[in-house]
Amino acid sequence: MTRDQRIGRTPVVLSAFVALTLAIVPLPRVLEPLRPDFLVLVVFYWSIESPRAGGLALAFIAGLAIDVIKGVVLGEHALALVLTAAWATHLRLRLRLFSVLQQCVTIFVLLAAYQFVLFWVDGATGYPVTAWARWLAPVIGALVWPLVTGTLSRLHER
Amino acid sequence: MVAFRSHDTTGRTSGLLLRSVLYALLALGLIVFDKRYDQLGRIRRTLSIVVYPIELAVTSPFEGWSWLRASVTTRDVLRAENARLRAELRTDQFQLQRLAALEAENGRLRALRKATAGVGGKFLVGDIMDVDLDAFRERVLVDKGARDGVYVGQAVLDASGVFGQVAHVDERTSDVILITDATNAIPVMVNRTGMRTIAVGTGEPNRLKLPYLPITTDVVKGDLLVTSGLGGVFPEGYPVGTVGDVKRDPAQSLADVDVRPAAAIDRSRELLFVWLTRK
Repeated sequence: MTRDQRIGRTPVVLSAFVALTLAIVPLPRVLEPLRPDFLVLVVFYWSIESPRAGGLALAFIAGLAIDVIKGVVLGEHALALVLTAAWATHLRLRLRLFSVLQQCVTIFVLLAAYQFVLFWVDGATGYPVTAWARWLAPVIGALVWPLVTGTLSRLHER
Repeated sequence: MVAFRSHDTTGRTSGLLLRSVLYALLALGLIVFDKRYDQLGRIRRTLSIVVYPIELAVTSPFEGWSWLRASVTTRDVLRAENARLRAELRTDQFQLQRLAALEAENGRLRALRKATAGVGGKFLVGDIMDVDLDAFRERVLVDKGARDGVYVGQAVLDASGVFGQVAHVDERTSDVILITDATNAIPVMVNRTGMRTIAVGTGEPNRLKLPYLPITTDVVKGDLLVTSGLGGVFPEGYPVGTVGDVKRDPAQSLADVDVRPAAAIDRSRELLFVWLTRK
């Protein structure tokens, strides 16, 4: 609680912007499906670390930003991100006690849920993406999770 | 690795369920409104103003690099390129003379038949921005938007053929959905026979298919497909692609026809937005 109050908005907003940039930096076509969803990981991080600094509002706005960038139906990523970020917030006390491996597995499950909501909305709105490669995203995300937490924790804990 | 080392012990989850349900409902509402009523263009545009600087920041180093490369090319290279362009211009102009004559003749013949004339158009050139939008959808971001008069559904060409169609318009940018996107279909005509059909994208970068041709149809490898102009979106007579493999399975009623797009789908940098104006 005390620590929650120490974390200002600046690192949250800054990290979200950097992650958004990383989301659209051009990659070679083959590597594109391997791009980690940095913005989603950043939102998870703040949901776990400090629900007050970011919280569900951050998840909602970040999701809308992804919707606008990808040009999909507005609210799709916002819905997925809000639901999974709420889940992450719910689990946060346990997550903080987890080992790295346990955290990665949990993040994998969260990302799979995120991807599933997207899959469902894609189908419901009539633009199904059935490429198997989309289910790579949770694996990639779980693998880079230690990197994200390492970087972000340095950002606000000097 | 840094574990989360703290303890905001109180665990303020009391309102979490309520808040997450509220946000989720809000998002669902947006989805329904955007899908059903198509009324969220304003919100999308406002949000895109926030996103635009990021897109610009991502694309500008690439533009800077190509500018730098262009400005340090040697004289020899420029001279060679100049010569090549001149040669190209000569042949093009030669063909254009014939085109003018043909167009005039076509106009006379159409007038004789009292048919509506073809499409003359206004063009606008746009550059593809170096931004990756979605790994699983064939889309590109182009640096022309609503303030340049671009509209949703507008046809987009590149130098060698039909490229795609505008899917979303923001103030300064627009999303173009390529003809190879799995959700895209374009009315085409086999140039040799006049047979009309629909070419559908596959989601792969360099392949379209013609799924609605009976196996008895006269279509062979190498046939040119041009836009038929029937959907009212694409102007008539622009090359869409050439027919690749044609598989005729006697057990099926429809043939399996591959098409290679004429446009340089994954190499083009400049695109043409087309305005249809009926003469």
